[in-house]
Amino acid sequence: MKEGTDIMDKIKVVVGLGSCGVAAGANKVYHRLLEISSENKDLFELGKTSCIGMCYREPLVEITDHKGTFLYGDVDIKRIDEIYEKHIKGSTPVENYIVHSNVVKGDEQDFVDNQIKIVLRNCGMMDPESIEEYEARDGYKSIKKILKEGVTEDDVIKTVLDSGLRGRGGGGFPTGMKWKFARGYKSDEKYVICNADEGDPGAFMDRSVLEGDPHSVIEGMIIAAYAINATGGVIYCRAEYPLAVKRLNLALQQARDKGYLGNNILGKDGFNFDLYVKEGAGAFVCGEETALIASVEGKRGMPKKRPPFPAEAGLWAKPTNINNVETYANIPWIIFHGAAEYAKYGTEKSKGTKVFALAGKIRNSGLVEVPMGITLNDVIFKLGGGIKEGKKFKAVQMGGPSGGCIPAELGGTIIDYDSVNATGAIMGSGGMVVMDETTCMVDVAKFFLNFTQKESCGKCTFCRIGTKRMLEILNRISEGKGEEEDIEKLQELAAQIKDSSLCGLGQTAPNPVLTTLKYFRNEYEAHIKDKKCPAKACKELIIYEINDKCIGCGACARVCPTKAITGEKKQKHLIDQAKCIKCGACFDTCKFSSIDKN
Amino acid sequence: MEGIKVYINGAEFEGRIGETVLELCRRNGIEIPTLCHDDRLKPYSSCFLCVVEIEGLRTLQPSCSTRISKDMKITTDSERIKKSRKTALELLLGNHYADCAAPCKLRCPAGVDVQGYIALIEKGLYSEAVGLIKEKNPLPAICGRVCVRPCEVACRRNLVDENGVGIDYLKRYTTDKDFESGNKFMPVAKPETGKKVCVIGAGPAGLTSAYYLSLEGHHVDIIESNPHGGGMLRYGIPEYRLPNDLIQKEIDSITELGTKIYYGKKFGKDLNYDHVKKNYDAMITTVGCQKGASMRVEDEDAEGVLSGIDYLRTMELTGKKFDFKGKKVATIGGGNTAMDCCRSALRCGASESYIIYRRTENEMPANPIEIHESKLEGVQYMFLTAPLKVNKDANGRLKSLRCIKMELGEPDKSGRRSPVPIKDSEFDIELDYILGAIGQKTDVDFLENINQNAEGEFKLNKYGDIDADPKTLQTGAKNIFAAGDAVTGAATLIEAIAQGRLAAKSCHQYLTGQAVVGECGEFVSKRDNFEEQDKKDYINEYYPQLREEMPVLPPEMRRNFNEVELGYSCDQAHNETARCLECGCEAFFTCDLKKYSTQYGIDQKRYGGSYNKYRVDYSHPFIEIDNNKCILCSRCVRVCKDLVGANALGLVNRGFDTFVAPALASSLKDSTCESCGMCIDTCPTGAINENKPFKPGPFVTEKIETICNYCSLGCGITLHHKGGYFIKAEGRKTPANPDGNICKYAKFGYKYLNDSSRITKPMIKKNGEWKEASYGEAYDLIVQKIKAVKPEENSFMAGGRLTNEELFLTSRLARQAVKTNNLSSFLYHGRECAMKYNWFANVPFEDLDKAGAIYFIGCEIDKDNAVLGFRINSLKQDKNIKLVNIHKADDSSMNRKCDCSAKVDSYYNLVKAMNYIVVKDNMVNRMFIDGNTEGFEEYKTDLLKADLSELIKKSGVTEEKVRKILGHYNEEQNAVIIFNEKNISSQTVKEIFNLALLTGKLGKTASGVIALKEKNNAQGIFDMGITCCLEDGVQANMKQAWGFEKSECKKSHGDIKNLFIFGEDPVGCSDKANDVSDMLKGISFKVVSDYFMTETAKLADVILPASFPIETGGSFSNTQKKIAVFEPAVTPKSDLFKDQLIVLMNKLGVSVSYKSNADILADAIKIMGDGICSCDDCKYEFEVTAEKCDRGNIRHGGDILVKMADDEFAEKLKK
Repeated sequence: MKEGTDIMDKIKVVVGLGSCGVAAGANKVYHRLLEISSENKDLFELGKTSCIGMCYREPLVEITDHKGTFLYGDVDIKRIDEIYEKHIKGSTPVENYIVHSNVVKGDEQDFVDNQIKIVLRNCGMMDPESIEEYEARDGYKSIKKILKEGVTEDDVIKTVLDSGLRGRGGGGFPTGMKWKFARGYKSDEKYVICNADEGDPGAFMDRSVLEGDPHSVIEGMIIAAYAINATGGVIYCRAEYPLAVKRLNLALQQARDKGYLGNNILGKDGFNFDLYVKEGAGAFVCGEETALIASVEGKRGMPKKRPPFPAEAGLWAKPTNINNVETYANIPWIIFHGAAEYAKYGTEKSKGTKVFALAGKIRNSGLVEVPMGITLNDVIFKLGGGIKEGKKFKAVQMGGPSGGCIPAELGGTIIDYDSVNATGAIMGSGGMVVMDETTCMVDVAKFFLNFTQKESCGKCTFCRIGTKRMLEILNRISEGKGEEEDIEKLQELAAQIKDSSLCGLGQTAPNPVLTTLKYFRNEYEAHIKDKKCPAKACKELIIYEINDKCIGCGACARVCPTKAITGEKKQKHLIDQAKCIKCGACFDTCKFSSIDKN
Repeated sequence: MEGIKVYINGAEFEGRIGETVLELCRRNGIEIPTLCHDDRLKPYSSCFLCVVEIEGLRTLQPSCSTRISKDMKITTDSERIKKSRKTALELLLGNHYADCAAPCKLRCPAGVDVQGYIALIEKGLYSEAVGLIKEKNPLPAICGRVCVRPCEVACRRNLVDENGVGIDYLKRYTTDKDFESGNKFMPVAKPETGKKVCVIGAGPAGLTSAYYLSLEGHHVDIIESNPHGGGMLRYGIPEYRLPNDLIQKEIDSITELGTKIYYGKKFGKDLNYDHVKKNYDAMITTVGCQKGASMRVEDEDAEGVLSGIDYLRTMELTGKKFDFKGKKVATIGGGNTAMDCCRSALRCGASESYIIYRRTENEMPANPIEIHESKLEGVQYMFLTAPLKVNKDANGRLKSLRCIKMELGEPDKSGRRSPVPIKDSEFDIELDYILGAIGQKTDVDFLENINQNAEGEFKLNKYGDIDADPKTLQTGAKNIFAAGDAVTGAATLIEAIAQGRLAAKSCHQYLTGQAVVGECGEFVSKRDNFEEQDKKDYINEYYPQLREEMPVLPPEMRRNFNEVELGYSCDQAHNETARCLECGCEAFFTCDLKKYSTQYGIDQKRYGGSYNKYRVDYSHPFIEIDNNKCILCSRCVRVCKDLVGANALGLVNRGFDTFVAPALASSLKDSTCESCGMCIDTCPTGAINENKPFKPGPFVTEKIETICNYCSLGCGITLHHKGGYFIKAEGRKTPANPDGNICKYAKFGYKYLNDSSRITKPMIKKNGEWKEASYGEAYDLIVQKIKAVKPEENSFMAGGRLTNEELFLTSRLARQAVKTNNLSSFLYHGRECAMKYNWFANVPFEDLDKAGAIYFIGCEIDKDNAVLGFRINSLKQDKNIKLVNIHKADDSSMNRKCDCSAKVDSYYNLVKAMNYIVVKDNMVNRMFIDGNTEGFEEYKTDLLKADLSELIKKSGVTEEKVRKILGHYNEEQNAVIIFNEKNISSQTVKEIFNLALLTGKLGKTASGVIALKEKNNAQGIFDMGITCCLEDGVQANMKQAWGFEKSECKKSHGDIKNLFIFGEDPVGCSDKANDVSDMLKGISFKVVSDYFMTETAKLADVILPASFPIETGGSFSNTQKKIAVFEPAVTPKSDLFKDQLIVLMNKLGVSVSYKSNADILADAIKIMGDGICSCDDCKYEFEVTAEKCDRGNIRHGGDILVKMADDEFAEKLKK
């Protein structure tokens, strides 16, 4: 008890050092705290943790003292010094900077309180580089429970089935079923693979989990290995996630040292399983499971026809179970708390929670975990804080390049697999890019198609050339060179690409175009027929003109890079449209609203 | 096995378990297109052409990788599927910056395959070239002189050095050569149909339609109003350009097919349609444009003013030239008729010959060469001048012409700038004659005549020309077709020819009751569909080479109607062919992409957009890669990796920028490429091709199915040739190569067949110099020499490349006629008695799939017997058979294909050490030894006398490794050892067999030893008795049949007086060439039979020409003793070697006659038995050995062909 009291007595200061925190300058804050603590030993204990999801307020520093916990946001050197003086030394929390607390109300109280954290249960709550902290938060208790209580493989699979957990990588296939298939194929070698090749633009759920709670993924994989009798495993992780790779490798070593990996795991005879991290080489398509397997085997990352599914013939043609990071991270919780507890959350066909990465024009861009069944509007407005700068919510893009845009009027859509699919978008891995009125939907389609056509592996005719042709048409449209039949041509190509591609990349590549066409066809038509971009985003279609409000200050002419603006002092200026490159510098500079953007 | 019931397009089929939809459909004759699938490879599914609908599945499924399941309902040809396939093709072709056909061919109105015939001319195949031209144009000699040559305008050579290839001159050259040959090209007409067609007019269109109708078997009569044929060719073109006798020759070539021409009969006057209708099934009118167009100037009816064509026609009809001596003659116009007029005027004596033309020289439609020549001859040009009025004298005769000066104004609709008169610039020019050459008109005066009797209406169009459907040339009357100028208005010769052929085609369709549709177009991809061709892309890619100038009569010798152009010389023609850039694709006739694109009616521009442009990679001496044509099916990449195991090709980049490139090397030459050419054969387009040292054509070839004559596998191959010139080899599925795979020897080693240095006549050396001799002389000399010495002083050496028949006849000649037993082959010299049983325990290749492990000992299978290597490599991929490579080479390329390897110093010591350990450690398979072998105890005693540490030391590997290899081998149930005789001594061979016996791995399925031989018929050497070691039974047979008593072999060369070397080049192929040649020099009389002047042949006294296998036919026995029979397929260039042997026997007093190869082989089997050892219960024998290096010093299997191929590979593939 004494030890415990000591800890309680000492103030605990934890800095969020996930990639988002580091990017925002958390390292500087951490080092400042290190300096302070070395000068003032015993005053407080310094720790680190990972992303808590509130990326938009990083760097975040959490202080726990006898009164409670206080999360400070937007912390810089100046603020930390102030917080140190007032809170750590003076025991008076600096209320202005508090974003969340269990004592006082911070600015971001709703953001935290509206979430249910299962996958992210440990993220931002512990030091991800410490296996002991993971163990202290019920880590590895699930696999211990299975082995100690002699839970059979079939019972493990039954629990996962009963929980209703579906693949969180986007496909939404029932995880328990997948395991059951893999278990059903007899082979002396079997594998489990964790797909950590998170590649959707704007998505960073998996990264946060890997950085913040690597052990939960490893434990999930060990449980899967047990259930399907796997002999080896691979975590296929983006090389662009160096911190995740580092922490995974560290965690794997810790797990081996503690006997969670290796031969006769936790004393269970014949339960031999180990895994390693394989870094991807930056190809989006390697997130497709057959391409991923090819890549692990050292081949060019190109998809293959399924069936056979990996459960039958996967890595090295052996039965293989592939799930993504979020899926595995759910597993220990489900085993620990039971299927029923998990299935409490969500809708009839989509159970549990889902992590989303909020990005785009949303105020609170960051990571949230919500129970299935809440509405898009709730996520965007209650958690996300609505649209930046008070602009109008126009649409939300879900599911990355394979997904689609859901318009604001469908904001009441419930988040579950089937409801989202019904809109033409997909649940995907959890990317949510929010758009406001200044976003051009043709441009959005172009952005995602540009991404997929570049990331096409080049194997299938339709995906390789078809997406390129669609992109060319979109480019044409956004440059004002669209022709009447282009929309039809886009739809025709889109339908055929979806129909005749080998893997998900090709089959879903046209989705962003199809959904924007479905909900925002008028915008396409405006580009084609009127040669106008309603959102005023397509450069080639914008005309900058100086109106009568011009007082002839000459500020615009000075910033114009092509000297397209001329005029006498104190006289109305004029833009030479032939010279104008539509950079918008004049528009941004003018203080008198005398430049019209049309 | 139970079948699976599935439904395809509603019908029920029984499928096999594991079968794909594509396989099932193909098996049942349901066609599904695919580009990326190759039966030999695992399904890939990239092209998405093979898609099908499967009930219950939302998306289309690629049939190549979709396995059937019970009650699956498949649709293979719905509209949705067709649309998807069409789009797939259109997407592929939207990024296919490539030409199927050359622009010359595409621009030619008649579609003559210019690139093809230039390639044939290059090879001296003149008759074949004429044949190819005549597929589209039956008047090539005429066309070669007077065509307007749109092909040369289109020619891309223009982009390199400003002057297109002299296509027309080459055409003239080859037709002249064909006529000169005395054996001109004559096509074979189809059997007579009994249908009759009447053609009106013997001009180019009429003659052409007659030609093609005759070829289809229809009878054609031509009605011609003039006394001679040729129409405008004869009556409109003066003889200095086109001699009349030449016109007649080409007309003869047409009438020789059966057409009759009735001269001096005018349709509508001398003969009515009524008559035609009664006597013929169809009619084609080709009446031309006979009437000169009016100049539309005042008083052009003056005497001395006449139309140009009347002027030319009159001279031709009367045979008399106009007398223009001292006269001033003006020709009005700027076309080719104007040129003919102004140049003829000079030839008629005119003192001045003017051209009056209202535009400038740039706008003149006449051929530039004509303008050039006319100027040389003295024609004066008045450009920008238009005639206004003819000034007559009192008698109504031409006095002068009033003209006006013009300037060029705005371009008109045709793009030409219209001339505009300059005010007040009128002037008069004094003239004696004016020749109006500003166009011609159709003159049809038989409309009524036809329409009185015809069904349907025969009409004229608004221009006064005959109204015919442009696609079919059928007129309003269904049985009447029309062609030529009478349809098009005055046009060119080649257009008239094109029309004549089209009319004939439609008429044939009509006559045979088919739908009259004319020509069915085929898809052609064009670079021009992407961009206008730019000089810079060509200048950097090709060397400049100026056009060969046509030799002409000097201008001062042209005041007559002798032909001005004299024709190319042979050198000129050859140089000019080299200027062809070969724009058209080599895969024109074989491309699947083109085939399907035609089938699905695709539009290349439909999904146009950005496209990739690559430089063609010619850096590998045998394989060229043109990524522009690549559709990324990856068949080449996959064949190279999964089948060949070379892994030399890979895919670079992602998405739209993906392309095929050598793996980890800038050139294929520097990669792990094995130059087998399998990538070429699998490519469904023309993206990977053979880099040929000659123009590839392409043209349709004739095919010969035969057996490869390089190594001992005996693969089936198909040789492609045209007129005896070989241009390609392909694999053919036979038991030896069931997938039709071939290696570099077969693929690229066919070129010897075209070698012009071949010996085709006997040669006798007289006073150190070679003289061609008659066969009689050669035989007499040989017989005389044989008779002059004792029988045993004669020795016969015969090589492993000869056919069984040739080998057997050699044996019979030696034994029966010469009565000597001195028979051997340099390939096995001194070790034949040890090597002759190597075939004995061969595991049949087809059983290798059951092997667990394969051990290569001294066997660079990827180089020497690559096709078996491919088979083993794909088995390794499929069944994970373990491969072990035991080699002496420092860097064995087999290592990367094997699971493990050991580099050794001595195979003999390694194997013997293994045997020692087996025996010493009592690991022997006692049951096998006791039951199946003899001689174990003696062997054991001898073996154990050896010193193991010494064996290990000499083997070059550690004892641990020896034990490891042995352990694996011994434990493996089905272990196969493969060695190549060329790397292994006879003693090693015996120890390898001993090893197999000790461990009991002989005589079971997929367990044994495979001996690979160097030459195609090395096994035949033993089977046909080319050895002094004969079995008793064989000796008895020979004694009975031939009266042959075996004598001892002559051991010493000194005892040999006459040496016969058939099909071997021991001097050229030996490591110790000097020793061999010294040995030969010590023999007084030597006869060599070979194809070429080999190093050995040079030392001979008599050379007999040898026969290529495709000339003589016969059989080879492969290394597994499988006899493959092949037929003679080409006319031999010399007396067949087998016949030479028979004649020699007859001359030596042994009467021999065989009816056929089969007859010889049957006799051989009777004498030699069908196997050397045929007893069922005989036992394997252990053999005691002693180390002896008798590897032999003969390389290349002793064969000049292998040596030539090896030398070429070594030189060209040098890194």
